[in-house]
This record gives sequence, C-alpha cells and structure tokens, in this order.
Amino acid sequence: MNTENEVLFEVNDLHVTFGKGKKAFEAVRGVTFQVHRGETFGIVGESGSGKTTIGRTIMRIYTPSQGNVIYKGKKISGKISKALDKKVIQEIQMIFQDPMASLNERAKVDYIVSEGLINLRGRSLKEKERQELVAKALEDVGLLPEFASRFPHEFSGGQRQRIGIARALIMEPECIIADEPISALDVSIRAQVLNLLADLQKEKGITYIFIAHDLSVMRYFTDRIAVLHKGKMVELAETEELISHPAHPYTRALLSAIPMPDPIRERKKKLFVYDPTIHDYDQNPPKWTEIAPGHFLLANERELADGFGLK
Amino acid sequence: MANELILSVKNLNVKFHLRGQELHAIRNVSLDIYRGESIAIVGESGSGKSVFTRTFMGLLDSNGYIPSGEILYYGNPSPRRPDNAFAAGGTGTQTGSASSGINLAKLTKERDWRAIRGGEIAMIMQDPMTSLNPLKSIGSQIAEAIRLHQPDIKGSAAINKKVIEYLSEVGIPEPERRCKQYAHEFSGGMRQRVVIAIALACNPKILICDEPTTALDVTIQDQIIHLLKELKEKYQLTIVFITHDLGVVANIADRVAVMYAGDFVEIGMAEEIFYDPRHPYTWALLSSLPQLGERGEKLFTIKGTPPNLFKEIKGDAFAPRNPRALKIDYVKEPPYFEVSPTHKAKTWLLDPRAPKVEPPEAIRNLKDLESVYG
Repeated sequence: MNTENEVLFEVNDLHVTFGKGKKAFEAVRGVTFQVHRGETFGIVGESGSGKTTIGRTIMRIYTPSQGNVIYKGKKISGKISKALDKKVIQEIQMIFQDPMASLNERAKVDYIVSEGLINLRGRSLKEKERQELVAKALEDVGLLPEFASRFPHEFSGGQRQRIGIARALIMEPECIIADEPISALDVSIRAQVLNLLADLQKEKGITYIFIAHDLSVMRYFTDRIAVLHKGKMVELAETEELISHPAHPYTRALLSAIPMPDPIRERKKKLFVYDPTIHDYDQNPPKWTEIAPGHFLLANERELADGFGLK
Repeated sequence: MANELILSVKNLNVKFHLRGQELHAIRNVSLDIYRGESIAIVGESGSGKSVFTRTFMGLLDSNGYIPSGEILYYGNPSPRRPDNAFAAGGTGTQTGSASSGINLAKLTKERDWRAIRGGEIAMIMQDPMTSLNPLKSIGSQIAEAIRLHQPDIKGSAAINKKVIEYLSEVGIPEPERRCKQYAHEFSGGMRQRVVIAIALACNPKILICDEPTTALDVTIQDQIIHLLKELKEKYQLTIVFITHDLGVVANIADRVAVMYAGDFVEIGMAEEIFYDPRHPYTWALLSSLPQLGERGEKLFTIKGTPPNLFKEIKGDAFAPRNPRALKIDYVKEPPYFEVSPTHKAKTWLLDPRAPKVEPPEAIRNLKDLESVYG
C-alpha cells in the first residue's frame, strides 16, 4: 500500500548466533530487508527458520553477531544511548503467540496493560492518567474498561490476546511486531483478532511486522512477504506477486500446503515437499537477485535460467 | 464393508459436576460411525468435541459422568489377554453379545476398559511435546505397545524388528538409529509421527485424532494428514478426526459432523458440508476462514460467545449469535431435517414453512477457489 513511503526499518546483513565456539549456532544467516512506514511486512517460514529471532533482534532482546538494524535512520542494535533505548522501547512493541503464557497470571489486567507505561514514565505518570489510559486501551481492543480489575484466567483465549494487544497499544507504538498472534487461537477467534489488528492500523497508522508460518493468513493480511528458510531469506515480494508468481521451490511448498475448504481439489492435491538438496550451491553460490520489480529471489545463475528445474 | 457400523452413539448425554453446578457438555447426541471411513468432528473450543470422543475410551475426568445414552461398539474385541472381560463372558458382556455391540457407556471397571483402549480404539493427542515419555527411548515406547497389544510377537529381536518397521512406516528416516533416541531429539512433526507409530502398534480398529496438527506448521500439517490417509488405507483404520479448523479436514474427511454447544448441528458427506452447507453455524465457520478473506475487506466473524452450558438451552443453541435467526429459533429446538440420505441439519431454515435464506456470498463458490491460489 504505502511502499513508496519512507523507510522505517532497515535490517542490513543481519546475523544472529547463539552459543559460542563449537556449540555456536547461527539462527539468522545474513538477512537484509526494509520495512516502510504504515505497511504490513510479513515474515513466513517453518519453525526453526529464524523468523522469531529476527523479530526479537529488532526488539533488542537479542544482539546481532553481525549486521545491524536501523530504525528511523539511527542504529538500534548493539550499544545505544539511554534516550534512544527509551524511545525504541516506547515505539516498538510486540504481541506474542500464546495468550495463555504471555500474561502474568498473578497481576490484574490493569497492571498488565500499564506495566510498560509505568516502567517508561515512572513517577511522572499520575494514577488518574494511568487509569484513563488503561480504560482507553481496553476500549480500543473491544474490551470493557471494567475488565481492568480482573485476572487473566477469567478471560477466554481471544480476550487474552486482546489484552496482549492493549498492552502494546498503550505505549502508542509506531510499530508492532506480531509474533504468530493468531496461531494459538480458534478459527473464529482468529478472524476477530485479525480484524482488530487491521482496524487499529487504519486508525493509528501502525506499521506491523507480522510473523507466521501460514501463508493463507499472510495473503489476507500483509502488503509484502519475506520467505525465510533456515535463517536465510529465499524470496521477498509484494503479497499478490508472491502468491501468483512464486519462484522459489520453498515458497511453492508453503503455498501448496495451505489447506483449502474444497474437498474435491484437496483429495487430488499432490504433496509438494521442498528438498534443499536440489541446489548446487557448493559450486555455484546463490545471489539475491531482483527478478521482477520489487520481487527478490535467492538463486544462482543456473536456477534463474531454468526456474529451479521447473521451467 | 462400506456401510457396516463400527460405533453407534445413541442419545448420549455427558455431564460434569463443577463448582456445585452441573455442566451439560454433551446434549443428547447420536452419531453412527462406519467401518473404514474417516469422519471429522468440527467445532469451536469448548463445543464438546474432545469430551465426546473421550467417552469412547472411558477417559472422562473424574467429575464427568454419563447420565443416559448408549455407545455401542461393534468392533468385536478379540480375547487376546487372560483378563479380557469379554472373552469369558465376564462382567463386560452384561449388555449383550458382540453382534449387538458392547455398550461402552456402561463400562466402569478399569479392566474392562483395558480391553478397549489401544487395542480397539486408540488416540493421538494434540501436543506431541507432552504425549511422549521424555525418560524412555522412542523404540521402547513403541515396543511397550507391541508387547501389550500384539502378544503373538514374541522375543525382543522380533519386537525390535517390528518397532523399526513401524518407524519407517510413519516416515522416520534411519529408523535403526532413531529408535534409540529420546523424545527431545525429535522435532514437533517427527514426534507426532512417533505418536502415530505407537498408536499403530496397538493395532486399533478406530483411531481418534484429537487435533493432531494444531500444534504444527502448515507444511508439516500437510505431511501428517497425507500420512494418516495412507495408513488408513493400509491398516483399514476408521479415523475420527477432531479439529476446530474446517479448512484442514477437506483433505482427509469422508464425512463431517459439525458440533456446537455439545450437539451436532449438521452432519453430511464432505462434499455436502463444503459445497452445500445448510446450517448457519456451518456457514459461519466456513466464512471465517482466512483462506477466503479478501484483502482490504473485513473477515467474517461470529458475534458473541457460545452458550453457557450450566443453564438449560432453549430453542436453537446458535440463535443468539445468528444474525438471521428466526423467531422460532428462540422458542423451540429444531429437529434434524434431511437434505439427502447422508446429509442432515438441525435448523428451522430447512422447514418448508421457513423463509428462504441464502448462505453468505463468500462460501457459495468453494469449487472455484483455484482462481485465488493459481
């Protein structure tokens, strides 16, 4: 939608390594992308592909071993000033996957929602203002302000996820990183949460980085999609382009795995499994190439020529 | 074989004692399951789909009970074990001989259940992270099931051979090496395959899959569903597949039963449920699938919450959430109306006197989805 707009995030050649020496494991292996203000940027990949790690590195939970993250022209990875740290904490927020695990069971909703604000503003936050802000955040996500005095266990899964969203909203963020926000929810609740996220974006112009393993949700919700496999980005394109012209075999496998509510077609469907051994990257290393305007692909010359042997 | 009954549930009620109140979880439900078919039970969380199938194995929580109804099992349990109650005409047979079925709703003794669990009806749970024993090797967990349920295989060498056979059957590479490993050395999809191998080793007639793919990625989900389909053919299993996601079952289900508030609101062949759904709740479930969402437009959502099962439900349970509910929906519970011999739905919309209500636009042309995904 707003892809011509200013760049909000720049992630440059990001590497994230866990462990040291022999045990070192590189979860993210050189990922580069930009996120524009107001867009919904999707990161899709199977479990273990590093999609959550990227989200968490942007949030400054992990430190990159190489590369950097630029936010509004300033580097926010590694060591940064206290003032910038505060600004990042306020402006970038996260929504987690499991609403059963991500809320403090012993705290009331009131505290859960305003905890970030209390930490950020400290004494300058007056009690009356805090209560007003909590009430407003709860209203924004379609919950009643009276819920503030309840505990998380009194809510259903969908309502809990709304509390998680309210907790992010109260900070008035520029960007929300949503890490599989609907994977743990029932189908009917999924639709409610997705609609809520879409409404909030329209109202407040929030930028989303939307992390999921399911391309069917992505197709509906995102503007651009990056496909991640084993810590490497293999394809990046606008949603429509990626869905209608998938180039990488892994993207095709993800697309073919979307279950469709159409029994005749489903029964005929052949399982398309991505086999990484088809690449001959030892002799012919792949390059990040733009194959169509805005459509990037990780492939070597042979694969570009024969379309991964599928042309 | 095609229309031979294997399990027949008749007017089953399940209640739970909870905080001094009674929760009516399953409300007078009947369902026939035929040998060799795969039937999907679909509903929101809390609709009772897990409770319903747990009654087949006597796995209700201790505060749950069956006040009335029958679960007749026609699987004809074989006298495999000396303590098999059915072999000697023991306590379990009070409800009649095998030809008229065993009433599982009346079984109370653990030893009666032992003849059913695993060997006749086996279950795969949702979360493969928690359903395996972390302290025992994968191979020994499968061997345990073989020893219990296939007593004609004797000697550890023969059992080991069988373990490796099952592991390769469910698509685990290098089974000789992998069978010595522990659960934490497997990924989520591989663990679910191991759980399936254990269920197979019990040599069951009915396999209940309780949301087997909900905790898995889409690509892995697809693989597991294909695997279950293959195994169903090979071992002539009857599969009961429980899920909240109608999108998932199009591939595997021959028949679909839609559950709402402890009752089946619509039952039919998969084609009938997807291409010609009749109950407003089925419409709602289908329309809220994100697969059908148009970019920039709102996804359909079901308003409100499921009814409180502590209270008695009057009329159609779905009426308060149904924007197109008729007046009679609030007063009188609809009966089943037959759409075809295999398809029935519990809604007053099918009454000849009802006004004509069309299903929502989004789900009218599920056959033309090709256009969306190329």
